[in-house]
Amino acid sequence: MSDLSVLIVEDDEWLAEQHARVLDRAGYKTMITSHALAAIQAIDDNCPDVIILDVLLTGSTAFALLHELQSYGDTGDIPIILCTNLASELSIDDLKHYGVKKILDKTTMLPSDMIAAIKGVIS
Amino acid sequence: MSAARGEHERLLNWPLLDGIPSLVAAAHELKSPLVLVRQLSLMLEDGDMPADEQKRMLRQISLTSERALRLTSDLTRSVRLTDALFDLEPVNPQQLCQDIVRELQPLFSAHNRNVKFVSRKNPLLLVANRDLLRRIILNFSDNALHYADDDSTVIIRIGLLGAGRIIRLGVRDYGPALPIDILKSLRGKLANSPTPIHARPQSSGLGLYIAGQFANIMNGKIGVTRHSDGSTFYVDLQASSQLSLL
Repeated sequence: MSDLSVLIVEDDEWLAEQHARVLDRAGYKTMITSHALAAIQAIDDNCPDVIILDVLLTGSTAFALLHELQSYGDTGDIPIILCTNLASELSIDDLKHYGVKKILDKTTMLPSDMIAAIKGVIS
Repeated sequence: MSAARGEHERLLNWPLLDGIPSLVAAAHELKSPLVLVRQLSLMLEDGDMPADEQKRMLRQISLTSERALRLTSDLTRSVRLTDALFDLEPVNPQQLCQDIVRELQPLFSAHNRNVKFVSRKNPLLLVANRDLLRRIILNFSDNALHYADDDSTVIIRIGLLGAGRIIRLGVRDYGPALPIDILKSLRGKLANSPTPIHARPQSSGLGLYIAGQFANIMNGKIGVTRHSDGSTFYVDLQASSQLSLL
C-alpha cells in the first residue's frame, strides 16, 4: 500500500473513474477533477504527490493548468503525467519545463502503465 | 489562462479546435469512446473484480459503444447528404422527443443525470425528415449530457416562433455557462453553417457540424442560447401547414 495521493484531471467521467479504479487497487489515494479550475482548487487544498492530466479539457486545456502551476514554487514541483489521445503530437522535450515527466498514450497504454509511470516519476 | 491557447497550438502542431480538418475531427471524436472501451475491457480481462463492479463496467462498455456507433452512423449519413434524397414530411415533434427521451434514459441514468421532455398541451407538426431530426436531437442531448452538472436534468422543449411558422426544438442543460468569447465564436459559425463549429472548448465540434448539415438540408438552422447556468442548443424548422388537420 502507498500513502501517495494522485490527482486525476480528466473530463471523461467514466475514464476518470477507470483511472481511479486502477490506482485505488494499487493502493494510491485518488482525487478526480474534470477541468482546470477545479484542479487548481484541488491542488491548493490537497497538494497531491502526482498529477495525471488529460490535455483537452472542458473550459481550458491542460496547458493553461501547466502555466498556472509553474507560476508558483510549491505547485511547480509536483510531477505531472500527461495522459492523452494526442501523445503522438506532443514532445516530452517541449513539456519538461512545465513539470511534465511522462506522456502516456491513452490509445495504446495498459492499465498497469499508469502505475509504472507514477512509480517512475516518484522515484 | 487564454495565453495557453497559443502554446497549445505550438506544442501540438495543429490549431486548437476551429481548424481541425473533418477527418481529423472524426478520428479524434472516435478515439475517446474507443479508449474507454479498451481500458475497461483490459481491466475486465484481468479478472478479480467484484461482481457489481464488473456489471457496472460492462454497462459502461455497452453504452459507450452505442454512443460511438451513433457518431459513426451520423458521419456516414452526413457524407451521403449530397447524393441522397431525404423526404421531408410532417413530423410530430412531441412523439419524436418522447421516443428520444425513452432511448436516452439509460445513458443519462448511468451518468447520474436525467433527461426529460416538457410536453405541450397542443400538438404541433413540423416539416422534417424524421431520421435526421432524431439525429440532431440525439446529438444535442449527447452534448448536454457531457456538460450538464451531476444530478441535473436536461430538458427537451418545443416552442413556437414567428407567429407559429417556425417550431423550435431546444435541449437545455444546466451546467457551466458558455464563456462569452466562445459563444460569440459559436454563433458566428452557426450562422454560417455548415462550417466546422465546436460545442464547448474541448470539443472538435463534429457532432454540431453534422447537426448543422442535417438542419440545413431540412431548410432549418441550429443555434445556441447562453444561460447563466448552462446552455440551450436548438434547431428551428418550418411548421407544417397540415397542423390544422390535427
